[in-house]
Amino acid sequence: MKMGFTSVLLLPSLLMIFVFLGLPLVVIAMQSLQDNVLLQFTPPGIDNYKYLLTRPYYFDVVVRTLRLSLLTTIFAIPLGYLAAMALPVLKGRLANMAIMALTFPILAGPLVVILGWMALLPDSGPLFGPLVRAGLISPPRILGSETAIVISQVQFVLPFAILTLYTALRQIPHNLYEAAASNGAGGLQSFLHVTLPLSLPGVLSTTIIVFSLAASSFIAPHYLGGAADLTLTTLITNFVLGTFNSPLAAASSILLLAMMLIAMFIFVKLFGRFIRP
Amino acid sequence: MKGMRITLSWIYLALIYLFILGPMFFVLAASFNTETSFPAAFEGVTLRWYARIWDHKEFLSSAWTSTLVALVSSALAVLAAFLAAYAISRGNKRENAWLSATLAAPLLVPQVVMSLGMLQLASVAGMGTGFWWLVAVHAVHNIPFALRLTMTGFARFDFALEDAATSLGAGRLTAWREVTIPVLQSSIVAGFTFCFIMSFVNLPVSLFLADTATTTLPVVMYSYIESRIDPMLAAVSAILFVLACAITLILDKIFRIRLVD
Repeated sequence: MKMGFTSVLLLPSLLMIFVFLGLPLVVIAMQSLQDNVLLQFTPPGIDNYKYLLTRPYYFDVVVRTLRLSLLTTIFAIPLGYLAAMALPVLKGRLANMAIMALTFPILAGPLVVILGWMALLPDSGPLFGPLVRAGLISPPRILGSETAIVISQVQFVLPFAILTLYTALRQIPHNLYEAAASNGAGGLQSFLHVTLPLSLPGVLSTTIIVFSLAASSFIAPHYLGGAADLTLTTLITNFVLGTFNSPLAAASSILLLAMMLIAMFIFVKLFGRFIRP
Repeated sequence: MKGMRITLSWIYLALIYLFILGPMFFVLAASFNTETSFPAAFEGVTLRWYARIWDHKEFLSSAWTSTLVALVSSALAVLAAFLAAYAISRGNKRENAWLSATLAAPLLVPQVVMSLGMLQLASVAGMGTGFWWLVAVHAVHNIPFALRLTMTGFARFDFALEDAATSLGAGRLTAWREVTIPVLQSSIVAGFTFCFIMSFVNLPVSLFLADTATTTLPVVMYSYIESRIDPMLAAVSAILFVLACAITLILDKIFRIRLVD
């Protein structure tokens, strides 16, 4: 009876997720098999997928999305890990403030942050302008390149990475460090045998979060990338708002989801080898 | 050796925070610049760009639309998440992989994909999108955040308090109203605030699902940036940034409510 009552309370969330997320995903999957203005065939068929994966232009979009998301993850995890390890040097109010400050870019919203990068990154902007004018460097042409996308994506995902890793590191029992030290382990040994292995589950979940945030990001590639730097999210937007091609937008969405699922599966397998049960 | 490690940690943290917050502080500074282009060298201080926002009525009306969407969707997300968090914490169930995967799914599915699905669902059903479609996707997308914050509250909640109320003759609803909800008040407020802001600044969902009557602030900013970026846009962004900081600080200092633990 009690069990029954509490389970009923799960229904609103599950129902909302099934109706407003599950059902739309089913519709997308079905739409992706439909013919359209560009491709005539008898539906249902997988011609849309064939088209996207065999045209070098579209295949490059998939590869670029994967590359940018992986690069973002590879930079964000070590940077975030070190920050999470360094955070305990802050004490009291300052520590509290530092943790809160991590939510500022999340709450201010991606548009505000991107506007900052659009202002900072041009060759004539405050970062490179003085150096270029002094003749110290040639114009770096970062804005409108994949580098700009990765820089802003790393900045966007870092707060999430630091917060999750900080929580993971705090959960390691303190007496393990004391045990390591009393057995003569130095700082590096204690890190390699205590901190790193015990934080791996946290690193895994952070990797998954960071990768999916990067793969889902739409504003960064739209504003900071060049016209040729399409990713799957901006491609989907172009199909929806530009060429009104629903079936190709749907097929690109399924490709994005598939890419994310495969990546997560690989992350889990990869880390699983090192995580001790 | 130890002192050196601490110094390095300080320097490293300073650099990381500069990287994370720098772009926004730059926008904040630029919004006060008298220079008419953006970005530009700093000339002098003015509030002109903030005043100019009043001339662009679409920014004001869309901010109101965003507020309405955020209010309704956050209320729905927090209500659903609160009930789920109660069920999970009270039920003391063993970690159910399928349940947690389902509840985390809205976080992992890209918003662009979520809203495309709703857009196609609407066209299959022969309906037009608008306010309630936006609300639905914002609410679902925010469930994982709301759930996380309410779960933190339940982790510290002693269910014996609730049982004491019921054993003294309170009905279940009375026990909730008099005991559970007041004790968990701060987690609920934290969850609501977080969802509200996340919905308020959301672009991808609104871009696909908004109709002409429900254009939200981020959509207006988006179409504005398509044609130009100027100090007025920096002023709008600066307001969003300052509001985000202010709300976080006020909740923490005055109400002792944390958006992150």
